[in-house]
Amino acid sequence: MRTGPSQDEIRRLNLGALLRYVHLHGPTSRAELTANLGLNRSTIGALTADLVAAGLVREELPRDHGRAGRPSLVVRPEPNAYVFAFTIEADRVTAARVGLGGEILDRRDLPRPRGELPPAEVVAPLADAVRAMQGSVPASARYIGSGAAVSAMVRREDGLVRLAPHIGWVDEPLGEILAKVLGPDRPVTIRNAADLRALAEYTRGTAVGCDNVVYLHGDAGLGGGIIAGGRPVTGHGGYGGEVGHMVVNPAGKQCGCGARGCWETEVGEAALLRAAGRDGYGRELVTAVVDAAARGDAVAQNAIRQVGDWLGFGVANLVNIFNPEMVIFGGGLREVYLAAAAQVRSRLNRNALPVCREHVRLRTPMLGDDAALLGAAEVAFEPLLTDPLDATAG
Amino acid sequence: MAATPLLEVRGINKSFGPVQVLRDVDFAIYPGEVTALVGDNGAGKSTLVKCIGGIHPIDSGEYYVEGQPVTVHSPRDAAQLGVEIVYQDLALCDNLDIVQNMFLGRERRNGLVLDEITMEQLATNTLASLSVRTVKSVRQLVASLSGGQRQTVAIAKAVLWNSRVVILDEPTAALGVAQTAQVLELVRRLADTGHAVVLISHNMNDVFAVSDRIAALYLGRMAAQVKATDVTHAQVVELITAGRSGDLGLAPTGAETVNGVQS
Repeated sequence: MRTGPSQDEIRRLNLGALLRYVHLHGPTSRAELTANLGLNRSTIGALTADLVAAGLVREELPRDHGRAGRPSLVVRPEPNAYVFAFTIEADRVTAARVGLGGEILDRRDLPRPRGELPPAEVVAPLADAVRAMQGSVPASARYIGSGAAVSAMVRREDGLVRLAPHIGWVDEPLGEILAKVLGPDRPVTIRNAADLRALAEYTRGTAVGCDNVVYLHGDAGLGGGIIAGGRPVTGHGGYGGEVGHMVVNPAGKQCGCGARGCWETEVGEAALLRAAGRDGYGRELVTAVVDAAARGDAVAQNAIRQVGDWLGFGVANLVNIFNPEMVIFGGGLREVYLAAAAQVRSRLNRNALPVCREHVRLRTPMLGDDAALLGAAEVAFEPLLTDPLDATAG
Repeated sequence: MAATPLLEVRGINKSFGPVQVLRDVDFAIYPGEVTALVGDNGAGKSTLVKCIGGIHPIDSGEYYVEGQPVTVHSPRDAAQLGVEIVYQDLALCDNLDIVQNMFLGRERRNGLVLDEITMEQLATNTLASLSVRTVKSVRQLVASLSGGQRQTVAIAKAVLWNSRVVILDEPTAALGVAQTAQVLELVRRLADTGHAVVLISHNMNDVFAVSDRIAALYLGRMAAQVKATDVTHAQVVELITAGRSGDLGLAPTGAETVNGVQS
C-alpha cells in the first residue's frame, strides 16, 4: 500500500502552484490567491512568507483598494529572479534576459544572414550578448537557468540538434556548447521553436484557457507546436509535431527532407513566392505578395488563394486528428491566413469532420515574434516553478 | 457560444416612402461572437444597422435585449442599452487629441472643470484592455494618426462606454495590409472580451478570418444566418448574389435565375 504524499511534498507542490500563479497572472492579492488556488488563508500566508524569504515574490499594499476594511496584500513575482532566453531561427537570432513574471528585461537582436553557419559562429555572438547583459544585472539578481528555441528537431534530454534543415545543422551538440557559455551549474533547456511558441501562446497569449491547440509557424519552413489535453505533444524523443512534413500532395514538389509533396512545399514561404513569380525569401517578400493581392494583382491573388486552399487541407487533417479548440497561424503565415481566410475556412469546412471542426477557432498569435523567446523563458523557469525552494538553493 | 442572443430583432420592416428596404428581417447577435453582416450594395445592411442603432424608427417588428422586449426610438436609447456603432467615416475630430475624441460630448467633469486626469487614465486603460500597442500617446492629435490607428481609436471609443454590442461598418476598407491585420485582430479581441460584435464587410477574407456567424441580406430580406464553421466561400457568395445556396437561404420564387458567381 502506498502512503499519501508527505507534508513536505504537499508544501512543495503548493509553493510551486502559488509561484506559477503569480508568474503567469501577475500581481495577485492574497484574497484572490485564496479563492483561485483553493487553499486556506493561513496556508497562503505561510507559503507567501516562504517565497518572500527565498526572494521569489514580494508583498505590497495595493495602490488603491477603495473599499472598507483592511486591504489584502498583493503578491507580485520578483523579476530579480531571471533566466536567459535565446532563439535561433533561419532569419533571426535573439538573446534576452527575462524576469520571473515573464517580463523581457533586456533583449539583443542579432543579425543572421540566411544560410548555413556552423554552431560556433552562431553561439559566439550569443555569448557576447550574454556577457553584455550580465554587465547590467543588479547585484541582488539571481540566475535561474536558460532556455533556447531552435528551428530544429532537438533531442529532449541533452539538447542535441539532430536536424535543422534551414540552418544547416546535423547532430550538433548545441546543449553542450551553450552550457559551456552559461556555466554548468544551472540547466540549459533546448526545444523546438514552434513547440515553444505554442507553449507561450498557451501560457500567456491568445490560447490561454484552451487545452487543445495547434500552432503553425511559417517562415523559412513550416513548424508546428501541439498542445493536447493541456500538455505539449513532443513525442518519444522530442521530435513530434513536424506538421510541415505531412505529405499532402504525393505528386507535388521535392521537399528538402527528401520526401515529395510535404505540406511545407505547398504552403511554405517558397511555395507562395514561387506561385507569385517572385525571387528571393523572407517575411518582407511574403508581406509584399499579400499587399499586391490586396491591391488587385491577379497573379498575387491567385498565389494567395492557392496557398490558402492547401493550408486548409492540412489544417483539416490536423483538426480531424487533434480536435483542437484553436489553430494559430504565426510568423509569415499570419499574413497569409488573414489574406486567404475564406479559402482556408472553406477547405476546412469541406474536408474536416463536422464534429471535429464545430468549435475550432482560427486565430493569429497575440505575442507575435516574442512568442519563441517567452516560450524559451518558460522552459527555463520550469524547474523553479516545479520546486521553488530546491531550484534556488545553493 | 451562449444560447440566448444578446440582441435580437424579429420581423423588422422598414420603408422609405414607397421603397420597402427591409422585409421581415430576423437578426440575432451573441456575446463573445463576431457576426458578419454581408450583402450586396443596397441589400439593406446599413438600414438594418441604423434601425438597431435607433437612427431610423422601424415600421414594425420586435427588438429584444437579453430576451427582454425593448423599444428604441433614438440613438440615445440604443446607447443606453449598450449598442454602439462605429461608422465608416469614423466621425473623429482631426483637431482634437485621442482623449478629447473618446470623451467628445460626454466629458467627465470635476466641479466646473474637466477631469482631464481621469479621462486620460480611462482612455489609456481602454486601449490597454484591447492590447493596443500602436498608439504612442493618448494626447496625440487624431490628425497625426494613420488610418488603422484612427479605426482603433474609433473602436476604443465605442468600448469605453460599457457597450455590449459594437457594430463596425467596413472597418478595414481603405487600410493597408499591416493595418488591416491589426484591425481584424482588434475586432476579434473585442469579441473575445465578451462583446457582441457585428462586422459589416465586403471582403470575404476579412469575414472568414474573424467571424463566428455570417448573416447574408439579399434585397432587404435575411437570406440566411449561418455558422462560419458550416459554410464555404462559394456558398456565402451565392447567398449574397442569389439569396440562396443549395438548401440554405430563401425559398426559390420560380422566376429568378441563380448566378453562381465566384470571386
